[in-house]
Amino acid sequence: MNDVAGRMAAVVGPGNVITDAAELLVYEADGLTHGRTRPAVVVLPASTEEVVRIVGIAREAGIPLVPRGAGTGLSGGARPVVGGAVVSLARMRRILEVDLANGWVRVEPGVINLDVTRAVSGAGMYYAPDPSSQGVCSIGGNVAENSGGAHCLKYGFTTNHILAARVVLSDGAVVDLGGPAADAPGYDLLAALVGSEGLLGIVTEVTLRLLRKPEITRTFFATFPSTDEAGNAVSGIIAAGILPAAIEMMDRLAIVAAKAATGVDWPDVGAALLMDADGPRAEVEHVAARAVEIARASGALEVRVPRDEAERALMWKGRKSAFAAVGRISPSYLVEDGVIPRSEIARVLREIERMANEVGLRVANVFHAGDGNLHPLVLYDARNPGEEERAERLGGEILRLCIRSGGSITGEHGVGAEKARYMAEQFGKDDLETMARVRCAFDGIALMNPGKVFPTPRLCGERPGPYRPHPAEVAGLAERW
Amino acid sequence: MSAAPLPVETNDTVLGVRPRFAVEPETLDEAAEAMRALAMDRLAVVFVGGGTDLELGAVPARLDAVLRTRRLDRIREHAPSDQIVAVGAGMTLAELQRRLAPHRQRLAIDPPFPERATLGGIVAANAFGPRRTRYGPVRDLVIGITVVRADGVVARGGGKVVKNVAGFDLPRLLCGSLGTLGLVAEVVFRLHPLPEASATAILEGLSATDVQETLPALREIAVEPTALAALGTNDGFTVAIRFEGFAPGVKDQVERTLARAGRGACVEGAEEAAFWARHDAIRLGGAVRARAAFAPAALARALEGLRPLREALAGGEIAVHPALGIALLAGEAADAQAAAAGVASARAALAPLGNGTLVLAAAPPELRARTDPWGPPPDGIEVMRRLKRELDPEARLAPGRFVGGI
Repeated sequence: MNDVAGRMAAVVGPGNVITDAAELLVYEADGLTHGRTRPAVVVLPASTEEVVRIVGIAREAGIPLVPRGAGTGLSGGARPVVGGAVVSLARMRRILEVDLANGWVRVEPGVINLDVTRAVSGAGMYYAPDPSSQGVCSIGGNVAENSGGAHCLKYGFTTNHILAARVVLSDGAVVDLGGPAADAPGYDLLAALVGSEGLLGIVTEVTLRLLRKPEITRTFFATFPSTDEAGNAVSGIIAAGILPAAIEMMDRLAIVAAKAATGVDWPDVGAALLMDADGPRAEVEHVAARAVEIARASGALEVRVPRDEAERALMWKGRKSAFAAVGRISPSYLVEDGVIPRSEIARVLREIERMANEVGLRVANVFHAGDGNLHPLVLYDARNPGEEERAERLGGEILRLCIRSGGSITGEHGVGAEKARYMAEQFGKDDLETMARVRCAFDGIALMNPGKVFPTPRLCGERPGPYRPHPAEVAGLAERW
Repeated sequence: MSAAPLPVETNDTVLGVRPRFAVEPETLDEAAEAMRALAMDRLAVVFVGGGTDLELGAVPARLDAVLRTRRLDRIREHAPSDQIVAVGAGMTLAELQRRLAPHRQRLAIDPPFPERATLGGIVAANAFGPRRTRYGPVRDLVIGITVVRADGVVARGGGKVVKNVAGFDLPRLLCGSLGTLGLVAEVVFRLHPLPEASATAILEGLSATDVQETLPALREIAVEPTALAALGTNDGFTVAIRFEGFAPGVKDQVERTLARAGRGACVEGAEEAAFWARHDAIRLGGAVRARAAFAPAALARALEGLRPLREALAGGEIAVHPALGIALLAGEAADAQAAAAGVASARAALAPLGNGTLVLAAAPPELRARTDPWGPPPDGIEVMRRLKRELDPEARLAPGRFVGGI
């Protein structure tokens, strides 16, 4: 390994290779802090060319690579592989090209999400995907995770905003995928790459689509006796043909936590909704008024409309800091990320509460109600023996509930290391085997982020062989044509 | 049994290549069974829906059978409150829209020939219409897919919820794969509400530069059209800007658009429908149809680069999607050599404009003999070939139809 680190240092400079145990500590986990592993080496390349050479060294040495952005991921996707190397893209943080006329920006993967918007906001443009961590998470990480955010209900996910990418594959090839012009001929490999959680290659450049800032945004905050009424309000708003920019729900515990952490003066109620409508003025005024009517008709206790931008920002701060805020009401908590059909929200929340009561734990819910993307926060105290394990089991059962309800084990945090074991419950063997073949097309030696996403590794080139029909089937079919 | 071989019909011929027989499965199980049977005999197969995009792609290198999807035409699940539908690949777009309309919903795509085009075919061909301006290409609305692989294995990707990042995005990957990776048997789509109101602002007599300036102007006044198209006329271009949504919003946006333009008129109802039908006709006419893609801000330069091709196409018509950076040309190739030269010079002109490309969506044999309908292979071609080998190692699914001879 010293040899590998030495060779990598020759590529990126000794200051950009980390092997010291104390310095490696920060790389032992990403935003999911339990389940830490220590990498053999961390390397920080500064260019596509350096990434190619790092990949070559790793390939020759047979050492797996784990790409890492800002390390804010919540599924352990950037958790190191024991004995492997972590490739941090943190030094590649240049904005390479801003093309306002076309609404494109080409960036290196280490650029922070919000910095893209900052770079173009003077021209009235912005980059739409807005994960709650957008002030610190990187574009490369967003591409790997297909990050969402509160406003993807109207604007879509990262995958809807990536026009082109440059990627280094495990065989050292540098491949440009996508346009940026529309409809590049060939398979949509970019679609496979976005959300592939670092398993297909290392992205070194990304071209993003910019949008014009909406003319106006109307926000309201409504409180409800329980999540049932709030859920009905969401369904009613959607059924009225309204596509909000965002519609977020918080339950009682989440509200308590947000109040404690941010000082928002929210009342002590069973549930709250925070909705944004944005777009052209006349449309938005109409839609916002209609949504408020529906919220009231669904049993809203109170509807608040912010008087100014500062008040609006505070409302959103309350929502966006809710994960961290839960730290105010519980020493430890797990963040889950499951998806259910929107119409099942009320039922599933009641079921989660029942399951939590059964094992003596509390669950706070703060989530993207418009697309049924739940974020149950399982509260526990690690100092109590056995409680952490109970919390993890409950988290797993909540994911299973999402699968049973017709949903998914992840809406935006990814599968990573943490949820690979649930993949075989959401997908069949053949589904996973088909995805594994896609991986083989990009990375035939499983050099990139092995052990993530898929519950059971499969070697490329491993074939069950051509289809071998049952003899009786042969007899029946052979005479057909 | 429906997976039994059927005699070949006229419409089963793919770019002049006639298969030996057809199969027409009615269920997913039958489709899988048919695919296994084809695998056993190592037969080459092309999947055929409504046949509206069969001219896209190259001539198949070999063809034993066509698998018609038209009887895979059931809605498996429609959840109006979740705004999703799971539907068999063989249902036509128009039929789906008729089923959704009573729920005041639609699938927000509008490719040509909705009465014939099937959903599976639309996905496989990445077909689109002017509403792509707002709703994106079909891949942005596909949230789940069921594929029958070359070996007859049934695999699913995505799911039935809009937000879902579990596993690789097979649904998007299959979009535009033209039946070369597997049979798209069922698709789950995200739906949108039917708009309460619709109106189109029409501006006539615009130059190419005016057309290019349309998008920045619309951005400036912050309106959000659902469709934006420019039709070539004898007198420059007619630009159409459609707004759909709630009545007050539609009215306001059309008014502001016309005020900003300082010209033009608003059409609604039957007149509006007639206009967009005319747009469809341009997309469909001619033995040669080309689709050019370019950086939207370079629209005027792109059109300049397309001029030789346009001139080589007798009766050549053009429709432009300024927001997408796409132009569609249609006409007759009176002189195949001149048309091929036009294609070559267009490709050279488009390449510097954001890696622009030109694909022939239809071309007669004389033109195909002179140019690859897909153009030069893209940068990712080696990965594409490996992907093809992974999923169709014997190259039996539409062999030779796709990019780079895939």
